Amino acid sequence: MNLEPITFPWLTLLIVLPLLAAALSLVLRKHPVFSRWLALGITLAVLAITIGIFIVADGRGGWLLYEDYPWIASFGIRYTLGLDGISLLLVLLTAFTQVLAILISWHRKYQMAVFYSMLLFMEAGIMGVFLSLDLFLFYLFWEVMLIPMFFLIGVWGHERRVYAAVKFFIFTMAGSLLMLLAIIALYLLHGQQTGDYSFALAALKNTSIPPALEPWLYAAFVLAFAVKVPLVPLHTWLPDAHTEAPTAGSLDLAGLLLKTGLYGLIRIAFPLFPEMAAASLPLLAAFALFGIFYAAWIAYAQIDAKRLIAYSSVAHVGFMVLGLCAWNVTAMEGSILLMFSHGITTGALFLMMGMIHHRTESREIGRLGGIWGKAPVLSAFFLFFALASLGLPGLNNFVGEILILLGAFHANPLWGALAMGGVVFAAAYMLRLVQGVIWGPSEGRTEEITWTDLHPRELLILAPLAVLVLWIGLYPETFLAPIREPVRNLLEGASLVAMKGGLP
Amino acid sequence: MNPNLLFIIPLLPLAAAVVNAVAGQFLPRRLSEGIAVGAVGFSTIATLLLWPLVDAEGVRAELYTWIASGDLRIPVEIVFDPLSASMTLMVVFVSTLIHLYAVGYMREERDYARFFALLNLFVFAMLTIVLADNLLLLFLGWEGVGFCSYALIGYWYREKKNADAGRKAFLVTRTGDVFLGIALLWLFSLTGTLSITGINQAAFDFGSGTLLLLTLLLLAGACGKSAQLPLMTWLPDAMAGPTPVSALIHAATMVTAGVYLLARLFPLVSLSSTGMAVIAAIGAASALYAASCAVAQREIKKVLAYSTMSQVGFMFLAIGVGAVGAAMFHLFTHAFFKALLFMGAGCAIHLTGENDIFRMGGLGRRAPLVFWTFLAGALCLAGAPLTSGFFSKDAILLATFAGGGVFQRILWGVAAATALLTVFYTFRLVYLVFAGSPRAAGEAHRLPGVMRWTLPPLAVLALAGGLLNLPVAWGGSGVLNSFLGRFAGREIHASHALEWGLAGLATLLFVLGWLLARLRYRPFPEERISPARDFLLRGWEADRLVSAVIVRPFTSLARILWQRGDRKGIDGFLEGTGHLLMAMGEGLRRATTGRLHSYLGGFAWGLIALLGWMLLRYAF
Repeated sequence: MNLEPITFPWLTLLIVLPLLAAALSLVLRKHPVFSRWLALGITLAVLAITIGIFIVADGRGGWLLYEDYPWIASFGIRYTLGLDGISLLLVLLTAFTQVLAILISWHRKYQMAVFYSMLLFMEAGIMGVFLSLDLFLFYLFWEVMLIPMFFLIGVWGHERRVYAAVKFFIFTMAGSLLMLLAIIALYLLHGQQTGDYSFALAALKNTSIPPALEPWLYAAFVLAFAVKVPLVPLHTWLPDAHTEAPTAGSLDLAGLLLKTGLYGLIRIAFPLFPEMAAASLPLLAAFALFGIFYAAWIAYAQIDAKRLIAYSSVAHVGFMVLGLCAWNVTAMEGSILLMFSHGITTGALFLMMGMIHHRTESREIGRLGGIWGKAPVLSAFFLFFALASLGLPGLNNFVGEILILLGAFHANPLWGALAMGGVVFAAAYMLRLVQGVIWGPSEGRTEEITWTDLHPRELLILAPLAVLVLWIGLYPETFLAPIREPVRNLLEGASLVAMKGGLP
Repeated sequence: MNPNLLFIIPLLPLAAAVVNAVAGQFLPRRLSEGIAVGAVGFSTIATLLLWPLVDAEGVRAELYTWIASGDLRIPVEIVFDPLSASMTLMVVFVSTLIHLYAVGYMREERDYARFFALLNLFVFAMLTIVLADNLLLLFLGWEGVGFCSYALIGYWYREKKNADAGRKAFLVTRTGDVFLGIALLWLFSLTGTLSITGINQAAFDFGSGTLLLLTLLLLAGACGKSAQLPLMTWLPDAMAGPTPVSALIHAATMVTAGVYLLARLFPLVSLSSTGMAVIAAIGAASALYAASCAVAQREIKKVLAYSTMSQVGFMFLAIGVGAVGAAMFHLFTHAFFKALLFMGAGCAIHLTGENDIFRMGGLGRRAPLVFWTFLAGALCLAGAPLTSGFFSKDAILLATFAGGGVFQRILWGVAAATALLTVFYTFRLVYLVFAGSPRAAGEAHRLPGVMRWTLPPLAVLALAGGLLNLPVAWGGSGVLNSFLGRFAGREIHASHALEWGLAGLATLLFVLGWLLARLRYRPFPEERISPARDFLLRGWEADRLVSAVIVRPFTSLARILWQRGDRKGIDGFLEGTGHLLMAMGEGLRRATTGRLHSYLGGFAWGLIALLGWMLLRYAF
């Protein structure tokens, strides 16, 4: 394998840099301007590292980077990080999103340093989730990313922030506690069987689980991840959390947190329980299909623009889960690409709603409208990202969606045909959003305020997103190449961790 | 010549669209207009220069691989064969004239950059449909024209009505797109390729049921873009856009896409005789339906809109009876005269400040050039002998009649009745707009030269377009048919006597329709209000039907799912579980906070306890 001798701990750096900056920010919370620049500098540094890895990796397969140290030896807990093509895309998305999260919160007033600190903590947590190959470590990071989000919503959110934060916390907590029990059960089973007590994913994969217990353990993992994804009907925390969170929080929720659930399914749940996974795919697909329509339908009825986008996210993750369930190369690659794409378009839409809300202090579709006449550049960007979100060919989401649809149809024609119908629903709610925000007569809040079009900082946020939308839409190969081999390995059930990773 | 040069044809309008979209607002107006018109104009020149590349098998050029995953490989590849080449030439040429006309029409509009960017993008999307040799690339253009029509119909977005009309166009045509999309998924699953050539070759191995379903799916897709029954409701509303947009949608882009799609996939489609019959029936029904609506319309552009729907119905009919050559012939002549009619209508609206034909009148003397060119277009639409419309429509009627069976005879009867209605409503339009004395009360505008002088070339083309494909019986040699070669569909076997007989009948129908219209509308009639007229005016109440059956249930169900499903159902269940636990807690005199999180927390802990118990039972 292309395992390189431990050279420089780049992966650790991806986690430690934001962690240190977060701590420093907390300590120096009397100096918000310093912590702001610190946050920007660190997130930029992390982004630079991930881009560097992306370029050096150049579509290679296998583990691109790998680190493994003993940690709590008495319990067989190790500090194992690994980066392959799938995690690479998500790590890149995380690093990129977090820079934007800092930039969009540039002028936040209340407890600014703590706010940035939370964003940095979250970055560390999410990076950890995408990189950990030791289940104990994974669980640790899984919980770590929950806490800053809880505070982001609960402290800096909109009107019903406390309700939303608590709801978010309880939903995800319930899920992750189930997972913790399942992890411990696996750990004990494996230890009893082999005498080797270990949390390493690679080791636990070979545990033989009593058939009566297996469905429960699998269900515990899947439930934990399905809450995060979220799969209908476990989704009701999401509209509240997305809507009430500050813009940076909505951005992170939609762009990153949802992806941790999907990543968990791909990286942990499916490989740990291959037979169970195979048996459950049709059921998961049914939930996914139901979710595509159910969420899209509800999105259409929304009055709050942020809530509409939130529900659109639920519909989109339905497509992603469907792609996983199809269990073939095309659909799986489509799913992973859509995970990346969706982070960009939905993130962009949340960012833009933040910009509009900042100007108008309204998110209500009925009170906005006619913005094109006031701020054409802003409106043009909004239209552009909305079109990307509804899956217009040539823009990013289409590529992922059509791959999922092609793969799903191949796996089961009914899945593909039904899901294809979902695109009309997507058009219905997205066009309603566009109609309510930028077209129509300018009345209500649009008319009452004096408008400024995008200023340079906002342009700086949106332009790279727009470039990525076109890039993935027109030349997705850049982002498909790194995931090709990992996807093949996953599907062939080849040993997920090719080496004896995480074993003492 | 290097086939890669072919990419210039679609990429020029795209480049111009990008320039105008990004920088148009900062460019001088003349430059912005010049870029837009120039791009399409140079595309026309490029098409002519590259014409020698056409060969019967089709010249291919590949730019790069768009998407590759598993067995799927989607190249950005174009094919230049007689079918795509002739269609391309028509699209770029007519679009150039429309762009020129638009410069005049939109000269008082401040937001010109957005307009011209979208107009160019529209042409690019259409060219993608025409030139693509891959169904997914075609789908890119297909959805692209959907978006462009959306944005252009809703160009005057400040009025809610316009924005709604745009959205309607997008949604209705996207409903059709779903069926095309499913066909695409299925075809890939069957053949492992999305190359149109490959699919047409592989189609011979499909079962008859598969072929029928695929044909119906493709037909549904085509119906959406081409505004055929039952996906036609967007077209009349599409009038909300500026007139050049209407001209573009009706003549050069968009509505002809469906016909073109079926012509492209004719080798597949023609294998299913039932499928073909359905195509023909949908075409004939749409033709008659739209013609009957056109008779009652009051807005000049709506008359023309319904006439488009009706004429495209003729093209579907032609495809359905296997006469692809006739369909393409009618598509080209229709493009010329319909662009001409819309541009003439735009002039009439400009001159009178009115949309309502009952309030126009007397334009013949005021604007002779507009009158004569409009008349030329109208004669073609009505199928006056020796005009292009006469020959192309006749070819379709002949092909239908020559089909022989009872079913074909019925279709022929429907088509002939439609032809009569067409003459009638066309001359109704001409008399009401141009004859009599002026009745307009609106504000009149002066007509810019560029709007007037784009009319004559189209008028000449429209009148003489029959030469494109003059039948052998008339001393011609069927140029277009022989150029199209294997793309022209089935051979039509008909004696010259039958041809002359049908032509005579067509002439008779023309005279009859004209006399009826003259009798009724030459002297300006008082308006008659009748329930039947209102029914036709509102397109057989199609909108009301769609609203009652689809839109309103959809909207209310959305609200029900949200309030009942999400709020009461899921959240209610969780909170209910919380309440239950709380009640138990009360019984145990446990302290309860009464807040939501404690209920949900209770739910979570309950689940955990359950799982823990299972674990203990099995693990130890």
